Amino acid sequence: MQGQRRTMMGNQAITQGALEAGVRVAAGYPGTPSSEIIQNLANAADEHGLYVEWSINEKVSLEVAAAASLAGLRSLCAMKQNGVNVASDFLLHLAGSGIRAGMVLVHCDDPGALSSVNEGESRHFARMLELPLLEPSDFQEAKDMTKWAFELSEEIGNLVMLRSVTRLSHASGGVVPGTIPAPQGKARFDHHGTLLDKGHGPVSSSPVAYKHRLQQEKLARAVELFEDSPFNSYVGPESPELLVITSSICNLYVKEALALLDASGRVGVLKLGTTWPLPPKLLQRHLERCDRVLVVEEVIPFLEENVKIAAAEMAGEIGAKRFFGKRDGTLPAQGELNPDLVLKALAGILDLPYQARPKQYDRLAQELAPQATQERDLAFCPGCPHRASFWSLKEALALDARDGFICGDIGCYSLAMRPTGYGMLKTLLAMGSGAGMASGFGQFGRFGMDQPVMAVSGDSTFYHAVIPALINAVHQKSPMSLVVLDNSGTAMTGFQPHPGTEANAMGHPVPPVGIEAICRSLGAEVTVCDPFDLEATQTAALALLADQSTAKVLILRQACALSPQRKGTKPYDVKVDPEKCLGDQCGCNRLCTRVFGCPGLAWEKQSGKARIDEVICAGCGVCASVCPQGAIIKSERA
Amino acid sequence: MATAKLIHDPYNLIITGVGGQGNVLASRMLGNVLTSQGLWVTIGETFGASQRGGSVMSHLRVSADGSWSPQIPEGKAHMVLALEPLEALRVLVKYGNPQAKAIVNSRPILPVAAISGKAEYPATEELEGMLAQLTAQRWSIPATEKAMELGASIFANIIMIGALAATGDLPVSREGFEAELLRALGPAKVPTNLEAYDLGAAMVGG
Amino acid sequence: MITRGPRQLLAEVQEPGLCIGCGSCVELCPYFRSHGGKTVMLHDCDLPEGRCHAWCPKTELDLEGLAQELWGAPYSAQGMGPHLAVVAAKAGPRLEAGNYQAGGTVSALACAALEQGLVQGAILTGGRGLDTAPTLATTAEEVMACSGSKFTAAPTLAALNRAQAQGRGPLAVVATPCQAAALAQRRTKPSPLRGMAGPAELVVGLFCNWSLSPQGLERFLAQRVELEQIRSMDIPPPPAGVLQVQTTDGSLEIPLDEIRDLIPPACAVCPDMTSEWADLSVGMYEGRPGWNTLVVRNEKARALTEAAVESGWLVVEEFPADNQEHLMQAAEGKRSRGLGAALAQGLLGGPGDDQPKAIRVSPELYQAVESGEVA
Repeated sequence: MQGQRRTMMGNQAITQGALEAGVRVAAGYPGTPSSEIIQNLANAADEHGLYVEWSINEKVSLEVAAAASLAGLRSLCAMKQNGVNVASDFLLHLAGSGIRAGMVLVHCDDPGALSSVNEGESRHFARMLELPLLEPSDFQEAKDMTKWAFELSEEIGNLVMLRSVTRLSHASGGVVPGTIPAPQGKARFDHHGTLLDKGHGPVSSSPVAYKHRLQQEKLARAVELFEDSPFNSYVGPESPELLVITSSICNLYVKEALALLDASGRVGVLKLGTTWPLPPKLLQRHLERCDRVLVVEEVIPFLEENVKIAAAEMAGEIGAKRFFGKRDGTLPAQGELNPDLVLKALAGILDLPYQARPKQYDRLAQELAPQATQERDLAFCPGCPHRASFWSLKEALALDARDGFICGDIGCYSLAMRPTGYGMLKTLLAMGSGAGMASGFGQFGRFGMDQPVMAVSGDSTFYHAVIPALINAVHQKSPMSLVVLDNSGTAMTGFQPHPGTEANAMGHPVPPVGIEAICRSLGAEVTVCDPFDLEATQTAALALLADQSTAKVLILRQACALSPQRKGTKPYDVKVDPEKCLGDQCGCNRLCTRVFGCPGLAWEKQSGKARIDEVICAGCGVCASVCPQGAIIKSERA
Repeated sequence: MATAKLIHDPYNLIITGVGGQGNVLASRMLGNVLTSQGLWVTIGETFGASQRGGSVMSHLRVSADGSWSPQIPEGKAHMVLALEPLEALRVLVKYGNPQAKAIVNSRPILPVAAISGKAEYPATEELEGMLAQLTAQRWSIPATEKAMELGASIFANIIMIGALAATGDLPVSREGFEAELLRALGPAKVPTNLEAYDLGAAMVGG
Repeated sequence: MITRGPRQLLAEVQEPGLCIGCGSCVELCPYFRSHGGKTVMLHDCDLPEGRCHAWCPKTELDLEGLAQELWGAPYSAQGMGPHLAVVAAKAGPRLEAGNYQAGGTVSALACAALEQGLVQGAILTGGRGLDTAPTLATTAEEVMACSGSKFTAAPTLAALNRAQAQGRGPLAVVATPCQAAALAQRRTKPSPLRGMAGPAELVVGLFCNWSLSPQGLERFLAQRVELEQIRSMDIPPPPAGVLQVQTTDGSLEIPLDEIRDLIPPACAVCPDMTSEWADLSVGMYEGRPGWNTLVVRNEKARALTEAAVESGWLVVEEFPADNQEHLMQAAEGKRSRGLGAALAQGLLGGPGDDQPKAIRVSPELYQAVESGEVA
């Protein structure tokens, strides 16, 4: 029974596909653009009898999902692109050992790094670890392909990778939902067979030679199925001038570009949903159509290279081809694609003129562009505890006057590399790497380095990857200071719970594992402060910097301004007394607007005074502590 | 179900604003109302880091015939629904064309660079002038002020939807929107939101 | 007299290492703070002109301009600044024996000024051992709690700024020559800002040949004693040539030659030994332990000294002419060394010089320094 077509977000379509496939267990770690998949499944958990968790990190989430598969439960694991790096050690071994019930790893890439500090390519793991890869190209396919991925996984006995991208995961489009089966079957892990008994024996990737051959046979079976997959389709004339080979959301860009160029009659489009390994017979059929091939995909030329290898292997049958794509610069190999970039590439190859809008309008728009493109830099929200935290850390480091610095980490507070956080972060790399690098920097006093080092971490990041780095720092006696910016949830990705919260993904009560308790158990000194108390925070940070004997921890705890507990609340009414405000005179020079820079503040040029924008102000009252004149007045709201 | 007829297919609508203004909610509710008319709606949006005070855009493609790219090609917007005036300009410069229309909430949100004095926010008349040059038809409405009168600035996005409906460009009916409000927000929130919708409609439709 | 802004202050004073940490720029605004002996800028301030720069004694110190305005006379290469009298002085019977170096004259004057109602408080440098604590004292007991010499530069004027921001009444400041110069600039470059304009009513200057960098001394002493155990420090009059450090365990004597490297570069270009810009100046009295040299520079100072003697806070005696000659020579020696060093380092402003300079003098004096006449 089919439902009525609905407009679903890509991630919701993937969720729907998993539910229709009878998924029983789902696990993941939050990361844009993947987070809604686990969140949606968690929301559906009680209704459909699932177990869903936000795991401590991606590797553990994959292990949890793998356990489900081995216990006979279909499972899904979801993460963002670089999450696959975290999980990849386990993924390598799991790919070698194989699975039992259907298991799908959904990995969402972020071409253009719209919400990432990388545009890493997780597709390569499929080739590297010899696992089948599927890439949906629209919303309906996201649902259908997810459902089919479970069947494929069981058919071949190995995990299936399903790759989405931001513009699919976070876009929405029409999906006709199917039915969701009632949960059935009892979980049980069979382990009494021999090591070679894949259905009943112990699970391992060894004996390696045997298991590896088995794994490659599974992959070969997947290719056979791919040859006839409905997810690979061709649209266009029998013998086009140009064959476009594409996958993922790029398919919609190609469709758009061809419509705008009115070139559908000249160009054939082979849309591939099964992108690794490529099905050679299918490919040969289409490569034979013409001599010119444009491969349209985002970031690194993964598909392009694989198509070229296949074309080389069948060169005797199909002849030499002229390829356009990343390698020849027809399309950029960094950043995301869009219809205009694809259009430009097609117009160039086909020698077609294109003018999106009248030239005169275009000129006018260009003239006005400098005004319109005025920077609207990302900023901490009004009322954000991070602004207050970095304000105090900045002042403490300045007072300490040894050119100390902060190693950053991944979360909302990554913005502290930008003006909103006073440019305080001097390294910003991977999850947990702030603490790990600080542990290293702390050791270099022996080489004459006299700069103190701090690391910041969010609460969720602390659990994910900081704990080992902190243990390392304590054990190695590295004089670093870890500042945990505890805003009580995984704020960046939408307040997912973590091991420190009192409810799990499904909303069920669980015992919180406190950050203080963990740090103290490691032997690290721990101080806890409210970052809204600027003076206490600065004092605590200075004390941390003064003590260069060992690793220390400062927890700055204040809930995120958007968190369920704070959102919509306004603890203080804040206003400026224009009589007291010094404005840009000596003695202030607009400290609140020019330097502190909360979006809730405004500068009245005419009067030369600061003002509170009551629409934006979250009423945290921190600016009242920043004002040197006591001109910003906060009063508790009734 | 009979599919509503569109003046352009796909009809390209961009809802723009600043992170935190309720862009995403507005685009989804609108998308659902149009879907319930039997139309295909593809919505492209970015969120995550861009929610934090940055410029945000939702691209809505409304079609009688399947999904379109979640990114509208340059110069191809039919309507810009802007929760913030500078964002209206930013969008029109890239996606505007001589036939483009815009509904603009007149209340500026200063970029951090403007608050700190590193950049200057354009003067109201100057901004209005530029928007006028880039549009065939334009409505400037005090949505935030009206929303504050209703109790919270966040109602501005509903006021904007009401205004959009009143242009008649898209098949959005009061009944359809009421049904979506009920579905998305629950019965308690329907009356105030419907009031916001009516306020917006009145400001455009008269 | 030239005034620029905080960015220039950083470039002209902080970066070349000329900041002495006097506290003149500290707590006037949210930007400059003093911590651990260092003056630091917490956030960038882009004002083209500020009090921080106007009053800093280490940049654009216009000696000629100050002298003309405050003394009504040119700044001279000779002598030790204007004065009405030089006397020997020590604390009188009303001052309990305190932890003061030499004669306790500074504490006695501060107590007298408070009692006379000349000032409502005195800005002193308190603290123990290595920790200097600029303090506002409003009673004789609080004055005595601060007694005892400090040998590291201290942000004393920060306490003045704080007290003035709080709207305190007329204040006395016990100042080193650099701090006295900072205060002299306040008297000639007052700020237009409400409540922050008032110069110190009374400046009790200290003789000073040099100070020690707080961080440098801390590092130096840390290698020799437990820092927490330091009770007090003293440099007895010549020919001792040592820094005495009293600790809870006993005492330690460090030859002065060993700590000369800890003298900040700013002291090398300082032309003032006797706090010429103060109302009265107090220093040690070589060869007469338990007594100070007191230079009474103006009528206000004379009235205070007389009242202090009358009320039993202070005892004065005649100061021998030979000693006065000797003091004069010492003052001239420091001036010529300081101006000569400033010239050599390109920090001395000459005629028609539009580059930023630490010190400016009259064209005549500049030429005299340049030709080696002042040496």
